[in-house]
Amino acid sequence: MVRIPRLLSWRTGHALAGPYALDALDPAERARYERHLRRCSTCPAEVRGFAAVAASLGLAAAATPPPALKGRVLADVAALDAARSADAEIAALLSAADARVASAATSAGGTATVVASRRGGTMVFTSSGLPVLPPESVYELWFIGSAGVRPAGLVPTPDPDSAAAVLVLASGLSRDDAVGVTVEPAGGTSAPTTTPIVVLTPR
Amino acid sequence: MESRQAPDPVSPPGPDLGELLTLVARGDQVAFETVYDRVAPAVFGLVLRVLRDAAQSEEVAQEALLEVWRTAGRFDPARGQALAWVMTIAHRRAVDRVRSERAAAEREARAASTADPPRADEVAETVESSLEAERVRRCLDGLTGAQRESITLAYYSGLSYPQVASALGVALGTVKTRIRDGLRRLRDCLGVMW
Repeated sequence: MVRIPRLLSWRTGHALAGPYALDALDPAERARYERHLRRCSTCPAEVRGFAAVAASLGLAAAATPPPALKGRVLADVAALDAARSADAEIAALLSAADARVASAATSAGGTATVVASRRGGTMVFTSSGLPVLPPESVYELWFIGSAGVRPAGLVPTPDPDSAAAVLVLASGLSRDDAVGVTVEPAGGTSAPTTTPIVVLTPR
Repeated sequence: MESRQAPDPVSPPGPDLGELLTLVARGDQVAFETVYDRVAPAVFGLVLRVLRDAAQSEEVAQEALLEVWRTAGRFDPARGQALAWVMTIAHRRAVDRVRSERAAAEREARAASTADPPRADEVAETVESSLEAERVRRCLDGLTGAQRESITLAYYSGLSYPQVASALGVALGTVKTRIRDGLRRLRDCLGVMW
């Protein structure tokens, strides 16, 4: 067991540039050294040089990655990017000046909530306590108004391992639309085949 | 001290890695694919060298490459080279994994027998940077045995410097000095721009 002094002396701090550049410090010591680095005038240059040496050591170990790795990384990146765009749109909607909320119990159980921006023509749907459907069925959202009844998206089955609420973002909301939810065959339909379990009118 | 602007040591023709990272920071997936092609062999190879397990290395390399995507906005050209920034991410992830995976004693015993610099047969697989590997091997040969051992145990085996000290049975201060002097010598030998 090695005991590390709580405070780094100036001299000790200097001597840690090498181990720091090689990631040979434990996390606590790394954090302490990074504080030292901010106050030290000569250390950043030395660390930069050592980091470049470390990069060369790493490069010398280069090996051809398995071909499948690329597809997996790019797919993850595309998914992260899609989630980031959706998050940004949801955040914009939730902070829109004309955002309105409607929430109600459904006839199937649980509560459905819609936040809508009429000006933006967008809405976010979320729910809590909706019964889980068998695999052959799905909750489908509808815009209902003078422009007719139009599909507004399917509610993904919640991940049983995740406590995060399922959010569905949809655009195409008209000024006089309400938002309805029906139970439809898996994959959804282009027109509702059952009676809505709830109809929400955010205003 | 002033930093000299220089290209990364083995940059292929095409846009600079740092410029590509700027595009990636703005969410450019096409630029990211180019970054992937440019750095994946180095990232995967380094992680494999530290972890010595192909399946785990693939997983950790994937995490590291995704971190490059997520944090590209934090890359600051004033603080170092783009490649060094990427390699730091990869190395840190590999080291975190290796340290959480194995008990210190077992790791040290294993590392002590695998402390050599990259061997010719391992380096032969590296299509992308065989020249760099050759250069690094030559420079490592120019270190004292004690310096080389300390640096390779820390970097390639992922040992902390106190673990290096205990694996080699020397004082902490001795290891720090060996690492620093060895890195300075490597820096001069490699002609690293910084």
